[in-house]
Amino acid sequence: MECRELFARLSEYLDGEITPEVCEALRRHVEGCERCDAFLDTLRFTVDVCRCLPPPPLPDDLRRRLHQLIENPPPA
Amino acid sequence: MRAEHSRDALDDLLGALRRGEPEALSALVDRQGPRLYNFATRMCRSAEDAKDVTQETFLAALRSVKDFRGESTVSTWLFRIAANACRKMRRHGKFEPAHHLSLDELMPGEGPIARPAEGPETAVLRADVRTRLEDAIATLPPPYRAVLVLRDLEGLTTAETAGALGITLVTVKVRLHRARLALRRALAPTLGGHGAGVP
Repeated sequence: MECRELFARLSEYLDGEITPEVCEALRRHVEGCERCDAFLDTLRFTVDVCRCLPPPPLPDDLRRRLHQLIENPPPA
Repeated sequence: MRAEHSRDALDDLLGALRRGEPEALSALVDRQGPRLYNFATRMCRSAEDAKDVTQETFLAALRSVKDFRGESTVSTWLFRIAANACRKMRRHGKFEPAHHLSLDELMPGEGPIARPAEGPETAVLRADVRTRLEDAIATLPPPYRAVLVLRDLEGLTTAETAGALGITLVTVKVRLHRARLALRRALAPTLGGHGAGVP
């Protein structure tokens, strides 16, 4: 497997969404390629930082609007 | 990743909504409101539009709850309604035009690749990381941004994301990878820790 081929499939690799054969080929390549290993580290870090990003708080006026909706729901 | 409520719990909720139980609507708003607002805020890039989308999503859901057959989870159904509301705003000219992210342009250059110097929980507390990440998400083309927000911020699966956005599994994977690569490139200068300047 070449670096470019690996580069195109790194997210599927991180997400465990590739076949065991391709996964093994990727793993072997990464073990022997310092740059791809480092790049994979940075991509994994990027995904993990996204997952740590707190959501914006629900604004009070939206909370009030949704509360009004609960009290007066439209007919289904 | 946000905690995903179990399918059974949400389906119980759906049954109660169909029976018109107000506690069910209150629970749905509590559970899904912040998630829908997060998605809408990032897609609309306007707090006022995001509030309208969030409210409209619940209104549309209540109007159509009797027709919802449960082929997807309740959260996927709600995100689908929200995504359509966001698209409607985009058609009305409130969104930026979409453009394509090229894989070739996102490949790393020839220079050294710095490994992360700290964990993601620590890094996300840093203002420079947060600013770069938020800016990078906000400037992703909308089709890529929608996939990234649902997959990596809201924790939907690939199949749920495909269902919510009405696109194929392959398209979800392609857009997600390119979106992540764009964010990774934006974060690269911060990867070596405080004051790092590695490309």
